[in-house]
Amino acid sequence: MTEQVLLSMEDEVLENVQSEGAAEETAAETKERGKFGNAMRKAGNALKNFFKRIPSYLRTALRVFCGWFGFGVFGGPSNKKRKKIFFDVIGYVILIVGGVTMLYPFWWMFAASLAGPTYNANGDIATNALTNMITTIFWPANTSRFGLFYNYEQAITLLNSAWQTVTIGGQAYAFWRSVINTLLYSLIPVTVGVFTSASAAFAFAKLDFKGKNFVFFYCLAAIMVPFPSIMIAQFCVYSSIGWTDNGLAMIVPGCFGAIMTAFFIRQYLYGMPTAILEAAKIDGAGYWRQFVSFVIPLAKPAIMAQFILSFMGSWNNYLAPQVFITEDMWKPLTLAIGQLDTSYSTDVTNAPSVMAASVLALLPILILFAIFQKTIIGSIMLTGSKE
Amino acid sequence: MENNNVSLAQDAAAVQAADLTKPIPQKRKINRAKLQENIWGWIFVSALFIGTTVFTYIAFALSLWISFTDYDAYIMTTFWEGLGSIHPDGFWHWYQFMFTPEGILGIAGESEDFWNTLGTTCFYLIGIPIGMVLSLGISVLMTRDIKFTGTFRVIYYIPTVASTVSIAVMWTNLFGDGGFMETVFGIDLLSAGGSYWAQRWCVIILTTWKGLGGTVVLFVAGLNGVNASYHEAAEIDGANAWSIFWRITMPQLYPTIFYVLVTSVIGGMQIFVEPNLIFGNYPATGNMATSGTRYNIPFVGYIFGVFNNGEWAHASALGIILAIIIFFLTLVQFALDARRDKV
Repeated sequence: MTEQVLLSMEDEVLENVQSEGAAEETAAETKERGKFGNAMRKAGNALKNFFKRIPSYLRTALRVFCGWFGFGVFGGPSNKKRKKIFFDVIGYVILIVGGVTMLYPFWWMFAASLAGPTYNANGDIATNALTNMITTIFWPANTSRFGLFYNYEQAITLLNSAWQTVTIGGQAYAFWRSVINTLLYSLIPVTVGVFTSASAAFAFAKLDFKGKNFVFFYCLAAIMVPFPSIMIAQFCVYSSIGWTDNGLAMIVPGCFGAIMTAFFIRQYLYGMPTAILEAAKIDGAGYWRQFVSFVIPLAKPAIMAQFILSFMGSWNNYLAPQVFITEDMWKPLTLAIGQLDTSYSTDVTNAPSVMAASVLALLPILILFAIFQKTIIGSIMLTGSKE
Repeated sequence: MENNNVSLAQDAAAVQAADLTKPIPQKRKINRAKLQENIWGWIFVSALFIGTTVFTYIAFALSLWISFTDYDAYIMTTFWEGLGSIHPDGFWHWYQFMFTPEGILGIAGESEDFWNTLGTTCFYLIGIPIGMVLSLGISVLMTRDIKFTGTFRVIYYIPTVASTVSIAVMWTNLFGDGGFMETVFGIDLLSAGGSYWAQRWCVIILTTWKGLGGTVVLFVAGLNGVNASYHEAAEIDGANAWSIFWRITMPQLYPTIFYVLVTSVIGGMQIFVEPNLIFGNYPATGNMATSGTRYNIPFVGYIFGVFNNGEWAHASALGIILAIIIFFLTLVQFALDARRDKV
């Protein structure tokens, strides 16, 4: 009897203690959660009440339905494997929809660039090429009757007639000239610039010289200076020394390297063991030797990735040549497309040629990317740098 | 001999005198290896150092100087003439000019162009948070244990490498009057006489679509770097996927997010090519027809338009203002970052 009473009292005490503890906990929780948390909780309670009111036959149906996807609802069994498959399928669907959004415009662009006018029975134009082009969905209503790639030839002809001063032996070659110019502006400064950037990166990562940190932050701070705020002064100087008439304005500045490239390669070099360089030093290799025969081969993946990324950047550059290049002779491909776009984009017969020229400008970069995608994406992921 | 002795004595005296005032300066050991390293270090960075100094810092100083002059391409012929002619209305003329309202009703004329193009640029910045949220979701999906993630990464990265000029040409036709989006979805964002809000959204869709891949790749790298053992510990402690994401993944992803934010704000303030190719120059150059207005052309486009019209001093002043804005935006972001570290 007494024992029982004692036991029950103990139970009561224990319960009290437990409930107090629980109350304290909830108070602390509500404090931590704040207003938003409380609101969420209220919503959760409302949801619980709602579920309580669901009739039993619906509950069973829901339990079976969700159970099939692996969710344990209303006491149903939860299946981890099924759940994972469910989320995988959702993930795949979202990723595929996104991927189609990413890829479809390129297909559209290619298909639209083949469009030509539709003719009626009398041989007159029923729908013009522009309409056929922009209403393309998977394939244009009618391709050109002069051959599938007629618009590509037409683009070259149009540009040649737009920039008539660009001739060689009396033959207009404005389009191919612009391709050559683009190659000049991207290959020379990028090759030299990546080399100088790599040398700076080597110094930043592996050498210890006075003023290293100063130089590094001095150069790094330069990325905050936007190009539009310095382009006018640059243009004034370049035009007064004649660089705007011969394309040097696009070539020389890039040869001095870029801090983002150097930064990227430096990050890579940090991960490289110093022991190799020390061994080379002991064997009597000077710093130049170390750089040329050890650092460059070892940092090849990073240097390659930077080379390709800079190459793409120069190839796609639009503002700098737009400002710096005044002669048609020295204009790159991007300006050529801009020129075609401003002259013919609303022209009912020649609009597809503008699209064709755009495809031509896009193609080399896409091919380059397809070849080197592993290097590029791998390097970006390794060092976390976009450009 | 005598001379030597004298000089020795003098030396001794000098040393004694020096002793009284300060400790003897120890003769520095010339460390040949150290010297070599210093020289070579400077040789290796010299190209980058000179390039940065000349093409960025000196150019910036020159730009600042030009902004104080009344350098106009159609009036002055040589650069030196332009540099020498401080603006007759005073140093700050262009800086006052860009904030000067014309007419009685307040915002019109120059300051209207200035504020509206700047507002357009700021509106285009909306694409940054949208793109970051989208790419965060996509990269979380990509880091799940599923197949073909590499392929998806490559596909999402393609628009990033594609030429902006080509993309802009394509976009005009895709979203334009009677274009693909209108035939299939009935969306027409670029028709003549349409509201400029639609035009702005068209550009934002372009920049988001084009920038998604780069951010996704960076976020995937960041998410792969998140320490898996924390996840396991949290899972054993009974945390659900939602709180694991917010409490464990997000804090570790923070550096990547910060990097992406800073670089995209710097880049986003300089947006130019897309709207300029879709809409044309503003202010118009010569007699060229353009659908560019101050409501769809960003600030850099405005600088470019002013530059094209030969008002180089004016354009320089606008460029300096842009540099100041970008500098302060970067500063604010770093300050917020520092505050977060303290807390």
